[in-house]
Amino acid sequence: MADATTATPGRAHARPGVAPTPPRRRFVPSYARRDQLTGYLFVAPQVLGIALFVLLPLGLIVWYSFHEWNVLAGTFRWVGLENFEKLVTDPKLAPVMEATAIFSIGLVVFNLALALLLAVLLNRKVRGMTFFRTVFFSPVVVSLVAWTIVWSFLLQDNGGINGILQLVGIDGPNWLREGPTAMASVIVVQVFKNVGLNMVLFLAALQGVPQEVQEAARMDGASDRQLFWRITVPLISPTILLTSIITIVGSLQVFAQIAVLTQGGPGISTTVLVYYLVQQAFDFHHFGYGSTLAILLFGIVLVLTIAQWQLRKRWVFYEN
Amino acid sequence: MRSAKALSGLALGAVAALTLSACSGGGAAPDEDIELRMTVWTSNEDHLALFDSIADAYMEEHPEVTDVTFDPLPFEDYTSTVTTQIAGGQAPDLAWILENAAPDFVDSGALLPLDETLEADPDYGFDDLSESATALWHDDSGALVAYPFSTSPFVMFANDSLLAEAGLPSAAEMQAAGDWNWEGVSAAGSTVNAETGKAGFVIRDFDYTTWDNLASVWMGWGAAPWSADGATCTFDSPEMVEAFEFLHDAAFDAMSMPGPGTTADFFAGESAFTVTQISRASLLDGSFEFDLLSLPEGPVGEYSMVGQAGIGVMSSGAHAEAAAEFLAFFTNPENSQQLAQFFPPPRNSQLNVETLAATNPTLTPEQIENVVIPGIEIGVTRPSHTDSAEIGQEVRSSLDALWVEDADIAGTLADTCTAIDPLLG
Amino acid sequence: MRTESTLRTAPVGARRNAGTDDTVAVTVPPEASAAARAGRPVGRRRPVGSPWRKVLFYGALSVLAVPFVFPTWWMFTSSLKPISEIFAFPPELWPSNPTLEGYVGAFTEQPFALQYWNSMYIAVLVTLGTMLFSSMAGYAFARIRFPGQDLLFLVVLTGLLIPSEVTIVPLFQLFNSWGMIDTHWPLILVTTFGAPSVLATFIMRQYFITLPVELEEAGRIDGLGRWRIYWSIALPLSRSALAAVAIFTFLNVWNLYLEPTVYLQTPELFTLPQALTRYTDAYGGEMWNIQLAAATLTALPVLIVFVFAAPWLLGGAVVGAVIWHLTWRRRWWLGALAGAALGAATGFFGMMP
Repeated sequence: MADATTATPGRAHARPGVAPTPPRRRFVPSYARRDQLTGYLFVAPQVLGIALFVLLPLGLIVWYSFHEWNVLAGTFRWVGLENFEKLVTDPKLAPVMEATAIFSIGLVVFNLALALLLAVLLNRKVRGMTFFRTVFFSPVVVSLVAWTIVWSFLLQDNGGINGILQLVGIDGPNWLREGPTAMASVIVVQVFKNVGLNMVLFLAALQGVPQEVQEAARMDGASDRQLFWRITVPLISPTILLTSIITIVGSLQVFAQIAVLTQGGPGISTTVLVYYLVQQAFDFHHFGYGSTLAILLFGIVLVLTIAQWQLRKRWVFYEN
Repeated sequence: MRSAKALSGLALGAVAALTLSACSGGGAAPDEDIELRMTVWTSNEDHLALFDSIADAYMEEHPEVTDVTFDPLPFEDYTSTVTTQIAGGQAPDLAWILENAAPDFVDSGALLPLDETLEADPDYGFDDLSESATALWHDDSGALVAYPFSTSPFVMFANDSLLAEAGLPSAAEMQAAGDWNWEGVSAAGSTVNAETGKAGFVIRDFDYTTWDNLASVWMGWGAAPWSADGATCTFDSPEMVEAFEFLHDAAFDAMSMPGPGTTADFFAGESAFTVTQISRASLLDGSFEFDLLSLPEGPVGEYSMVGQAGIGVMSSGAHAEAAAEFLAFFTNPENSQQLAQFFPPPRNSQLNVETLAATNPTLTPEQIENVVIPGIEIGVTRPSHTDSAEIGQEVRSSLDALWVEDADIAGTLADTCTAIDPLLG
Repeated sequence: MRTESTLRTAPVGARRNAGTDDTVAVTVPPEASAAARAGRPVGRRRPVGSPWRKVLFYGALSVLAVPFVFPTWWMFTSSLKPISEIFAFPPELWPSNPTLEGYVGAFTEQPFALQYWNSMYIAVLVTLGTMLFSSMAGYAFARIRFPGQDLLFLVVLTGLLIPSEVTIVPLFQLFNSWGMIDTHWPLILVTTFGAPSVLATFIMRQYFITLPVELEEAGRIDGLGRWRIYWSIALPLSRSALAAVAIFTFLNVWNLYLEPTVYLQTPELFTLPQALTRYTDAYGGEMWNIQLAAATLTALPVLIVFVFAAPWLLGGAVVGAVIWHLTWRRRWWLGALAGAALGAATGFFGMMP
C-alpha cells in the first residue's frame, strides 16, 4: 500500500460517472498518537474550565474556612479550626438543619407525588393532552424571580390569594408571616415552579411501560390500584430514583425564593442551609464561617447522592 | 492528582495577592486624570442634579480631577453592597454611610481621618460643625473620619383630607387641643381605619423587618435597645415592654397601624399619618391636604429622633487625598447651604429658618421653624452598634414572635436580649 | 425478558430501530422495541370512556392547572393596571383601567432595553459555546481513546455536585484579580466552561456512545481526520441531544440571578432577572406595576418559544432519548450522577431566577 501519512488525500484516477475515491489509509501508530492528542484538545476547554472554575474555588473555600476575614479592617487572619468549632457549637445550626430537612423532604414528597399524578392523568391519547402538558410545564420556563415576585405579592395578607378566599368567606392566614404557613408557602411555590420537569420525566417513563404486561396483569384479575402499585411503579422505578435524586439535590440549592418570599423568617423558620450560608458570607461578611458552611453543604450533597445511588440496588426493579 | 500542586500554588498565589492588595492601601497614584466615585443611596433626580452641579464647579477649579460619579445603590442593602465592594477590592473613593453602620465603619480603620484636610482651609469653618452632630463620627483617637452631611429629624406627616373624611379634627387641631400624643394618634388612626378602610399611622420603612425605625416610637417611652456604651441589652426593660405593648395593640387590637404583610403608602393617600424623615416631603404630589408636625408625645413627654448620614473617604482608595479634598469642597459653607434644601447640615450657623427655608420647595417656613429645627436640636440619634448587620438580623428574627395575635411581649423581648447578648459584648 | 438477550448479543452501540408509535422516543427503550415489533402501541392507556367521565377528567385537570397558570396570568394582567389597583380588593381578574405606564416605567427607570440585549446576547453566546465545547468534550470522552480519560471524566463530573453559592466567593476574587468584575466575562466564561456546562457534556457523551461505530470507521477509512469526523458525521447526527442541550442551557443562562448580582455593578450591564429586583423608588419602595411589566417582558420570549417548541419537546422525543440513555442499564452509576447533575441544573433553575 502506498504511504498514506499525508494529511491531504490525493486524488485517485477519476473514472467518468463515479466520484473519485480518496486513497486508502493505513492505520499507522502516528495516527493513534495524533488521535490521543486530538482527544486531549477536545476535552481541554471543559477540563480546564472545571479545574479553574470548580476545583480551584473549592480549594480556596477550604483555605478561607481556616481564616477569619474582616472586610472593613482588611485583615485575613489564620484561625485554624476555629470556624469548624464554631460550626459544631453554633446554636443556630440545629434549627437551620431542621428547616432544611423539612423543606427538602416536604418538597420531594409533594413534588414527586404531584408529578406522578399529573403524568398518569396526562398519559392518554385524548385531545388536549399536549395543551395541558404545556400548561403544567409553563412555570418551568418562566423566570424564577418573576415567578417568586408574583407569588410573594399574591401571598400578602391583603394580596390576591386572601382576596379570593375572602370572596368565599374565608379569612386567610398571613401566609408569609406565620411559621408553618411560611414554610408551606415556600415549598408550594417551588413545587409548582418545577413539577412540570418531573412530570415530563415520568411521562417518558410511563410511555416505556409495555402494554402487554399491563394487559396480562388485567387478565389475571388485577385491579387498577394493584396494577398501578405492583406493576407500573416498579417498572418506572429507575425514573423515580432519578427524579428523586434530581429533586433532592435541587432542593438543597433553593435560595432566591426564600430571599424574596420570607427572608428566612418568621424567626429563622425558613432559613435553610444555603440561605444561612449566603447570609453569613454576604450579609454579615463572615467569609470564613460562610466557607465552612459551604463545605458542610457540599458534604451533604455528596453523601445524599452516594446514598441514593447505593439504594438503587434495593428498590430499583431492573438492577440485577 | 498531578495538577493538585499547581492548583494549590495558584490558590496560594491568588489569596496572597488579594491579602496584599487589601493591606497595601493607597499606592502611588498618578496626579492626573483622577476619577472619583461616591456611592449614594438616593436616585432622586433633583438630588443627583445638585451633586453633579457641585462636582462640575469643583472640576473647573481642579483640572486634575476629570470625572466625579455619584453611584446610586439600592437603599435596602446599601451597607451590605458597599461592604461587598470593599471586600472585592472595588471600594468607592467616597461612600455615604448610614448611622446604624457608623460604628462598624468608624472603628474599622477603613475611613481616612479628615481633620487635617478640613481644617486646612480657614474658610471651611471647621469649628462651625456641631458637636452633637459629629459625635458618632469620631474614631477612637478622636479624629473625624466621616462628615455627617445630613442630620434629618423624624417627623410626622398628617393627611388632613383623610382625617376630615373620617370626621376627625386636623392634626394641628389635635395638637392645639393637647391630644398630640401616641394614644391620641392611635385613637384617630383607629377611627380612620374603621370609617374609611385606609390605614391609621404607618412607621415608614418598618414593614415588620427594619425594626430600628421603631425607635421613633419607643423613645417616647424613654426606652433604648442597649445601654449608652452598647455593652448591655435593654430590650427587656419595662419601658421597652410598654412601648411594644402599645405597638402590638395598635397593630392587632386598635387596628390603627397596618398589620404584618399589609402595605400602605402615606404619600399615595393610603394612610392618615406617617413617621419618616423630612426628605420624603418630595414625594408629596398635592393630591391631599397635608401637615407636618413633630413626633407625638410619649409618656416621657416631648422628644425627637434624628437619622444621620455621613460621607467617608476610603483610606484604601487610590486617590484618597484627592477624594478628601473633594469632600472638603462638597461640604464647604456655600455648598452646604445648597445641600441644606434636602439634607440638614451639621453647621450651627446654618441651622436656622432662613437657610433651610430658602431652598426647600415643599415645606413652609413655619413648619421648618416649629418642627424641623427643634427636631434637630433636641433629637437623639437612632440606635447604632458595631456588627450592625448581624445584630439587626438577630433582633429581627427574634421580634417575629411578637407580631402575632397572642404574643408574649415580655418573654419575646427577653429572648431578644438573650440572642444579642453575645454580640453586644 | 426476551429483549435483554437481544441487547447482549447486539453489537455495542448499535442503535435500536424506532418503534411504530410515533410519539415515543427516536431511540426506544428495549421494552418498547419489543412491543413495537409486536405491532402494538406502547405504554398508552386507553382513551377515557363516557362523556360524564370526560367532563370530570377535564374538569379535574383544569382545577389542577389553576395554580400553574394563575400567577402568570396575574403577572400579565397586573402589569397593565395602575399601581393603585394592584392591591385592590376585591381582586380584579382583568384590569378595569388598562394602562401601559408600567411598561413605560420599565424602560425609563432602568436601561431595560439594554439589559434585555445583555441577557439575550449572553444567553445565545453561552448556548452556542456550550453546544460546541460540550459536544467536543462529550465526543472525545465517548469515542476517542486517550490515557487518563476516565480520571478526567470524573474530574469533570465533580462539577455536577457543587452548588454555585459554594464557589461564588472565590470565583469573585479570581475574576477580581483579573480585573473582570463589572464585565460580562465571568458570566460567559463560567457558564460555558464551568460547572453549568457539565450536564451538557454528559448528555452529549451518552448520546455519542450510542452512535454506530461503523459510520465513523467509514469516515476514517475515507481519510477524514478526527475533527472532520466529529464535525461532519457525529455532530449532525446528534441533533436531538444538541437541541436538549441548547434549550436548557439557554433557560439556565437567561435565568441567572446570583452571578449577575455578584459580578455586575453598573446598571447598563445588568441582566434581566437582576434588573427585575431593582425596580424600587428612591427610598426602596417596590414599584409593583413596573416590576410586573418587566417580569412579563422577561418571561415572554421564553414562553413564546416554548409554546411553539412544546409539542415536540413534550411529545417525548427529546426527553425520551435523554432518559433512556441516562438509565441504560449497564451505566447505572452514570445515570445516578446524571440525576445529581439534573438536580444541580434544576437547582440552577431554582436559585437562578
